[in-house]
Amino acid sequence: MTSVSQRASFAKASSNAPPRPARQRETVVLFMVANQMFAIAADAVQEIRSTDSLAGSAMEIDQIEVGKVRHTIERARRRYFVVNAGMHFGLPVTRPTLVLILRNLRVAVLIDRIERMAEISSVYPLPLAFAGDERRWYRGLAKVDDLIVPVVQPGGFLADEEFRTLDLALEAAKSLAEPLEGAAPA
Amino acid sequence: MTQASQSARPSFVIVQVGERRFALPAAIVAELAPPVRLHSFPHDTPGILGVIVRRGHIVPVYDAASALGVRPSSAQRFYLVTRRRVGTASEFGAIAVNGDCELAEGELQPAAADRPSCVAGTLQLGEEQLDVFDLDLLMASGSAAESSGSAEAHA
Repeated sequence: MTSVSQRASFAKASSNAPPRPARQRETVVLFMVANQMFAIAADAVQEIRSTDSLAGSAMEIDQIEVGKVRHTIERARRRYFVVNAGMHFGLPVTRPTLVLILRNLRVAVLIDRIERMAEISSVYPLPLAFAGDERRWYRGLAKVDDLIVPVVQPGGFLADEEFRTLDLALEAAKSLAEPLEGAAPA
Repeated sequence: MTQASQSARPSFVIVQVGERRFALPAAIVAELAPPVRLHSFPHDTPGILGVIVRRGHIVPVYDAASALGVRPSSAQRFYLVTRRRVGTASEFGAIAVNGDCELAEGELQPAAADRPSCVAGTLQLGEEQLDVFDLDLLMASGSAAESSGSAEAHA
C-alpha cells in the first residue's frame, strides 16, 4: 500500500478551468438573517427601512398558502408583499428589524440587519450538485473576503404562482372591505 | 492498450469516514485537501454539507457519514476531492475524511444486499473487507440515509 498525500493529479484535473464566473464588478448589500450572511445586488434594492417606520403602512394579509408572507406595505402608491427571509430560506425564527424594498418587484424582504456594502468581482455559478430550491433562490456564490456568500436572486423570493395566490387573497380582502366602506353607520 | 495496463488491477483509495474505513475508485480521486474552511448556507438539497474552495473551484462537500450510516468524527477535517458526473456534465465534489488515506489494488466484488445503496461493491484487503462507495450513488441516497440515520439515532 502506498500513502496518498496531496495528490498532484488535482493540478492535472484542474487544467479544466473552473466554471468561469461573470466578470463584472458589482456592488452588493451584505445582510444577515439568523446569523447567516447573504448578498444582494445594490441595484436590486430600492429602499431600506426599519420595520418600526413601516408599521403604519403595513396591512395584514389573510392567507395561509404562502406562509412566509403575512403583510403588505404600501410605498409610493405601490403595494409590496413582505417576505420573511428567515422563513423563505428555512432558517430559525428571528426578530427582523429591517425591510429591503426591492426595485422593479412587488416584494419587500424582512431581514435582521445590514452587515455592510461590498464590491464583488465575480458571481460563481452554484455547483450542479445543488439541485433544490436554492437554484431559484440564488444567482450564485461570491467570495467576500475569506467567506463564500450566496448572492440572492431578487426574483426568487416569490414564484409566479405565489404572486397569483397573494393577489387573489388581496382582491378577496378588498372585496370584503368595499361594502363596509359604503355602508351607512348604524 | 499496453500489456501493463491490461494486467493492471483496479486501484482504490482507502479512507476513514467516522469510525469505519471505506474505499473509492482511485480513478475519480483528484486530491486530498488539507483542512480548509467549510462554508455553509441555506439550501434544500439533501446530503450536502456546504462548499470548500480549492484552486479556484467551489467544491460541494457531501455528507458521506450520513449516507454510509456512520457517526461523523471530529477528526474528519481533511477533504477527499473527487470528480463526479452530474447529468451530462462533471464537477468536483468532496467528502470529509480524517486525513489517513492509502492506495490499494484489488478486485471489486459485488456488494451484499444489506449494504447502503451508495455502496457499489466490496474490496477484500487481507482479512479486511471494505465497502467501495460510489459518489454518484451516495448523492442519490443522501436523503434516504439521512432519514434512516435519524431514525436510528432516535431508536
